[in-house]
Amino acid sequence: MTREDIFARLTDIFRNVFDDDEIVLTDSTTADDIEDWDSLEQINLLVAIEKRFNIKFQLADVSHLENVGAMVDLVARLIA
Amino acid sequence: MYTYLITGATSDVGMALIKKLGSRGRFILAGHGDGEKLKELCRQLGCEYLYFDADFTDSTATDRFVEKVSACGWEPTHFVHLPALSVVNTKFKNFDEERFLADMNVQVLTAVKICKWLLPKMSKAKFGRVLFMSTSYVLANPPKNTAAYIVAKSGVTGLMKSLATDYAANGITVNCVSPSMIETKFLARTSHIIVESAAARHPLKRNATVDDVVPAMAFLLSEEARFITGVNLPITGGSVIE
Repeated sequence: MTREDIFARLTDIFRNVFDDDEIVLTDSTTADDIEDWDSLEQINLLVAIEKRFNIKFQLADVSHLENVGAMVDLVARLIA
Repeated sequence: MYTYLITGATSDVGMALIKKLGSRGRFILAGHGDGEKLKELCRQLGCEYLYFDADFTDSTATDRFVEKVSACGWEPTHFVHLPALSVVNTKFKNFDEERFLADMNVQVLTAVKICKWLLPKMSKAKFGRVLFMSTSYVLANPPKNTAAYIVAKSGVTGLMKSLATDYAANGITVNCVSPSMIETKFLARTSHIIVESAAARHPLKRNATVDDVVPAMAFLLSEEARFITGVNLPITGGSVIE
């Protein structure tokens, strides 16, 4: 799966979680860019991502993710 | 001789409570699905028990359960209501109404039906202890995306307050316990991320265990708790303070 494929799937998940079809993700997107992205929604995002990619995160790996780019890299590593 | 009616008895909390109460009475137990472990526990404890399989999502099955308990000849002195469907984590707009109804049936309507039959009997006996399982989620801001569970648990706490008021003069106490997340098989379908992050956010850096919760339940069911009614007791280790 390419990085672009992961981005496309993540965009789908973000749009569903935040109920906003206009969300566009880039490597540098952070919680500051999406109004409702708080710690609770972060957990909902992670749960949805685990389900979609059939992967399992470690809490330690996901608690300091800097931005969406880091999230994509982590997903890429876990599905490799 | 006390007779404990416990619904949701196959749960980890139910089994731990039976272990704690074991020598104090006999048990009328309701569960759904595999009741073998529960029966084995009762045999090990050497306690008298009756076990009924009941699907409380179906209100006619609940009616049949009440009829069977009524016909068994054991009159409960204590009623502990534990059952709940596992928490569904879904956006509100995606919840179907059936899910709300199913949660309401299991948690609220079942308690209503049993109490309608049982509380008049406890009133005549001038003694009764009723205890419902609620959740710390109803004590403060609930987690997002759990509306069906929160609505049902709020129904349970509302019913507790009503019944506590209605039956206070009859020697019956009605209370709730509201624990924070307990690590049990109830969480089998909850993401490990949700469970682990709840522990990470907790002041004690862990979630509750059944052993943190059951002693308080046993106390509220005891003779000594006679002057405590209408209470929703937080058991949170400090994660929620009202």
